[in-house]
Amino acid sequence: MSTSSEPQTREWAPTPERLQLTLFVSGASPTSTRAERRLRDMCDRYAPSGYDLNIVDIYAQPAEVVSRGVLAVPTLIKERPLPVRVLIGDFTDEPRVLAALGLALAQRTER
Amino acid sequence: MVTHADIEDVDERPGSVLPKSPTGIKGFDEITGGGLPAGRPSLVCGPPGAGKSLFALQFLVNGATLYGEPGVFLTFEENRSDVVADVSSLNFDLDGLEADGRLVVDALTLEHQAVDTGEFDLEALIVRLASAVETIGAKRVAIDNVEALFAAFSTPALVRSELQRLFRQLKDRGLTTVITGESGAGTLTRRGIEEYLSDCVVVLDDRVVQDVATRRLRVLKYRGSNHGRNEYPFLIGVHGLEVLPITSLELNKHVSSERVSTGVPGLDEMLGGSGVFRGSGVLISGSSGTGKTTIAASFADAACRRGETVLFFSFEESESEIHRNLASIGMDLAGWVERGLLHFHCERPTTRGLEDHLAVMQRLIQATTPTMVVIDPVSSLARGATAFDVSAMLMRQVYYLKSASITAVMTVLTDEGELAQSIINISSLVDTSLELATLTALGERNRGLYVLKSRGTAHSNQIREFVLSDTGIEVVPVVIGAEGVLTGSARIAAESAERAAAQGMSRESAELARALEDRRESVDAHVATLQADFAAEERLAQRLIEASERRQEAVRLERLAQGRRRTARNPENEP
Repeated sequence: MSTSSEPQTREWAPTPERLQLTLFVSGASPTSTRAERRLRDMCDRYAPSGYDLNIVDIYAQPAEVVSRGVLAVPTLIKERPLPVRVLIGDFTDEPRVLAALGLALAQRTER
Repeated sequence: MVTHADIEDVDERPGSVLPKSPTGIKGFDEITGGGLPAGRPSLVCGPPGAGKSLFALQFLVNGATLYGEPGVFLTFEENRSDVVADVSSLNFDLDGLEADGRLVVDALTLEHQAVDTGEFDLEALIVRLASAVETIGAKRVAIDNVEALFAAFSTPALVRSELQRLFRQLKDRGLTTVITGESGAGTLTRRGIEEYLSDCVVVLDDRVVQDVATRRLRVLKYRGSNHGRNEYPFLIGVHGLEVLPITSLELNKHVSSERVSTGVPGLDEMLGGSGVFRGSGVLISGSSGTGKTTIAASFADAACRRGETVLFFSFEESESEIHRNLASIGMDLAGWVERGLLHFHCERPTTRGLEDHLAVMQRLIQATTPTMVVIDPVSSLARGATAFDVSAMLMRQVYYLKSASITAVMTVLTDEGELAQSIINISSLVDTSLELATLTALGERNRGLYVLKSRGTAHSNQIREFVLSDTGIEVVPVVIGAEGVLTGSARIAAESAERAAAQGMSRESAELARALEDRRESVDAHVATLQADFAAEERLAQRLIEASERRQEAVRLERLAQGRRRTARNPENEP
């Protein structure tokens, strides 16, 4: 069973989509700055096909906040690849971030 | 129970001028002496379905439409279209208000699947609220069930501190805010957010006790202000939430000054000459057999005579019994039924629960659109319920009728003791209260009637007797004897005694005249006698005088004679 599922994962994994991320931050607050730095660091290390990071400052673009239903800062929305995932917090819990972004799996399959 | 003392309690003491923001919710502004604390957050809490969201929305809609204060509605409970649909039946035009820039409805869908990766805050929530407030220049904010946030985020301590920050910001911006929260087991809100909202706490409740669902509102806390401290029944009607009632006169905006006859001229006269006000509440109380149904039917009969429609709920007698009984005093109710003016609904009170009865009554009222509703007796309808529920039920019923300008005539059987007393106690909502009593004296039971109260009209303070005869009801002018009001044969006896007395009076004066005449005659006779006596005395005196004079003359003559004789016998002794 495990052998039949392994190749399927491999077949699916090698056609990775580029990560498309939107990060909501509150200006240059320490938490937001820290979150952005950690996110870029993780993506640089683990995203095999690269990533696009769109930073939204909630003070500058409140309309975006409303339309996306954002309450917490920092909030990261993984737009692509599907499914859309929402992450909140400053990315201290690295394994959870990677799992949510689908990066940990990609890492394992590349190895 | 709403008492006068309670109303006075609401009055602001001089010096404590806390600015208040009217909610426009009927009754609520009265019990709080003007509304919610202006520029501060208030907590409205209660179980699901108690009307918290409606309270919040009504506060905003009234603010926008009545007080020129735009508002922001932030809800975690429903999506936007649900919110709009929920209140569209209440004539709240949320879309229209939003288009006018007087309202923002922001429905937040919480991302329950959000992955928590570390430290965060709720700055985005604060920003989006601030942005909405600035866009329309809002003065009011409502956040509907803020505790939903606790479900969305896994760190309660953080949500708690962020809410505290949010409330502080709302206060700093001078926004009058309603925060709703769901009550937990033994606590006002599940997460204890009342701790941060200490200015004003309003508790809503919706309890079903023995079949009666009653919504209640209580102002638990109001810092810096006096407020009514009781639980006030409230209802959700076509105009939204309405808190019942301080006094019906305060709440009823369009009271009619038109009077309608009671059908009994003598009773109309007792009520200042022309009966009761249209759309008022009339309570007829009395023990069994005092004639409550008859008086109530008289109201109905009079209304039908004016060509009006009457809905008659009878919970003790069948329609045919009522027709028969009232035909015996010359009242043809069956005739009105045939002409479609009078509608009967007769039912045993035990066939349904109280709440169900009310629903049936309201449906029938809507179907027949009467100008008068008779409920006979309202006390049997309420049997089995608790005193408070009866009051609440009656208040709702009367309030509903009054707001539709329907005259409510209710009878209460006072034999039912405490229950009846509780009904009579609702008289803050009853405008005219008639009490029927059995007056027992001299081996008779007679029917007495008096006006316990009649708001807004001069009324008689006297107990009158009313007599049922084959020509109808007659209120007999009162006869007051030495022992008080006289009724029945005592009254008749007193009346005939009076008549006799009146006749006696004329006989006496004739006798007096005759006696005077007699006296004159006797005086005259006396005078004649005295004169006669005097004449006799005079004659006697005259005779005596004459006799005396004759005697003196005789004595003189005799002396002369003696003297002559002496001289003749001794002539030598003479010088």
